[in-house]
Amino acid sequence: MVLDGKLSELARLTAEAERFCREHALPVDVEFDLHLALEELFVNCIRHGACEGLTGAVEVRLALLPDAVALEYADRGASFDPAEAPGPDITAPLAERAIGGLGLHLVRQIMRDIEYHRVDGWNRLRMRRPIPPEGT
Amino acid sequence: MIEATQETRAGWLVVAVKGRADAETADQLESALRSALDQHAKVAADFRALAYISSAGLRAVLQAARAAQEQNREFAVCGMSDPVKKVFDMSGMHHVLTIHGELPC
Repeated sequence: MVLDGKLSELARLTAEAERFCREHALPVDVEFDLHLALEELFVNCIRHGACEGLTGAVEVRLALLPDAVALEYADRGASFDPAEAPGPDITAPLAERAIGGLGLHLVRQIMRDIEYHRVDGWNRLRMRRPIPPEGT
Repeated sequence: MIEATQETRAGWLVVAVKGRADAETADQLESALRSALDQHAKVAADFRALAYISSAGLRAVLQAARAAQEQNREFAVCGMSDPVKKVFDMSGMHHVLTIHGELPC
């Protein structure tokens, strides 16, 4: 799916991820993590990656593999490799807690095999969320 | 979509939050919690019916916790589902928040 660079598109992204998960009867925790990864990447691009106001700023594709969901995400924002973004200090006391950096930290925690390429002005990311075998 | 309703229970003002705490609804969540902190010395966020939270929602909770500290109020979070708790744990929120499994706090 293609999204414009505005926060109100988040509802459409959420609905599409929900449709995909229902169609493939995915477990609740897998659905939760897909929503989380997609929101964090999309919102990060709008707030920090210069996607705000761009038409067709973001492309998202979900595909079912035998043991995982493959997520492909691309945006036309500023060149940005999430693997190189500094992580937040998650042990800092309340008053010193930084407000930034948490979203991508969560993406790196929940997703596997994150690959980044900068191609023709696009940030292209591929990653996987494993699906645990039934009964575990 | 997010809804917040207030109820006083065992000396706490309990804010029951229902729905999704994402980048679009985080401001509403923060307002609901701050408004409760303006009214009562002990505020508990009841997240039993919170289906989803992202970093934007976490920030709203963090801002409420800061406001509580500044106003010398007690603030606690209760009743998170497993996936919501996982997001709190991955973010190290247990270092800065009082988290209870059950109500009342």
